[in-house]
Amino acid sequence: MKTLLPYARFAGVFMLTLLLAACARSPVLLDSTYEALTPQVENRTVPFFAQTEYQCGPATLAMVLNYQGVEVDVDQLIPQVFLPGRDGSVQPEMLATVRRHQQLAYPIRGTMDALLNHLANGDPVVVMQNLSLPIYPMWHYAVAIGFDLPDETLILRSGERERHTLSFSRFDATWARSDRWGFIVADPGTLPEGITARNALEAISAYEEIHGPKEALSSWQALIARYPSNPLSQFALGNALYADGQPEKAMAAFDAATQYDAQMGAAWLNLGILRLQQNKPDEARDALMQAASIEGSWQERAQQLLDEY
Amino acid sequence: MKTLRAYLSTLLIAALVITSLPVAAAPAAPQSMDLVSTQSVLAGDRAGADREKINEILARADVQDQLLKQGVDLDEVDARVAALSDAEAQQMAQQLDQLPAGAGGGVIGALFAVFIILLITDILGLTDVYPFTR
Repeated sequence: MKTLLPYARFAGVFMLTLLLAACARSPVLLDSTYEALTPQVENRTVPFFAQTEYQCGPATLAMVLNYQGVEVDVDQLIPQVFLPGRDGSVQPEMLATVRRHQQLAYPIRGTMDALLNHLANGDPVVVMQNLSLPIYPMWHYAVAIGFDLPDETLILRSGERERHTLSFSRFDATWARSDRWGFIVADPGTLPEGITARNALEAISAYEEIHGPKEALSSWQALIARYPSNPLSQFALGNALYADGQPEKAMAAFDAATQYDAQMGAAWLNLGILRLQQNKPDEARDALMQAASIEGSWQERAQQLLDEY
Repeated sequence: MKTLRAYLSTLLIAALVITSLPVAAAPAAPQSMDLVSTQSVLAGDRAGADREKINEILARADVQDQLLKQGVDLDEVDARVAALSDAEAQQMAQQLDQLPAGAGGGVIGALFAVFIILLITDILGLTDVYPFTR
């Protein structure tokens, strides 16, 4: 053990040097962010729920859910999201608990620019921070509600503080330790500005898993309205429309998916199956031939259907 | 719980083998007209559908185990597992111990050295532990 001591000391000095070098760094925002945003934004209508002990997860969820009009208090949320053995709440369950209350949880892109843009749109953002250092972590959830651009400060509802302001650089240092993790809560059928197509797809798909495709239909439609040429969104919309008893519209959506991505075998297969169901064997054959010619898990089924009909 | 898991996986494997037998024996059986789901496309075809299914069910059983061990109420465990998407269930099953748990709990009973270090990093603007540094 003794021989390790000089190394430990060296490591300590090295780390401090690193820290000192790092402290000069401040998050650089894009010029476009400075130009596009109002200097001061604060969504004062976000309700505040103070955390008790280690309950920042439930408290944070209470704030964003009540903001969405879901009436739920911290005590109801604790058994749904808090892990007694870990003295905290983990990220997957934060998202899952939002869905239990018939709301969608959209992850945001992890940059300061994206965060500020969401806040400028009036959307409160749940953020995960490590308030301490990686070697001695203090993980924490808070709700970002606004910023002051000239002052370079962020405004949060955090812990026991209803209005916690901290500099962009300090916040970004704590946020970066969670890989800048954050999400926005939204009603079904709405898609907050600035959410990427991929993040929206994952969020709506997860919602669909527990509430079913009919309940997810309006959200898929919102996604299509925002990203009409995204093949996966068209595919997802097709499935939801089919579940909702609208096969004609579903076929149109699968057709659109194959137009935007001619290599999407699953869309060709679904299109083929629907055309078979609609008694259009010739058109079905075209689609199934496409599916069978593209390598993937759909190939076998497409071939079998071709053999039978 | 471990034995339960072993039983469950044996049962699952047996069930899947049995249910897949008639299909293998009678290739001319009429095809199901089920559409390919959005979730299976998003998950990609990293594994065969059956294996994927087993993994999902096992992952959920695992998460159930772990949540119970972490002190979650018995009445709540099922609902919490059900609320997870397949991807989240797998993530929880594989790395619950490593996942950061947001707590943000007040005073930390830390060593004096840690206290000093965090005090310094707080003053430097790298951390946000002690409110009195600002």
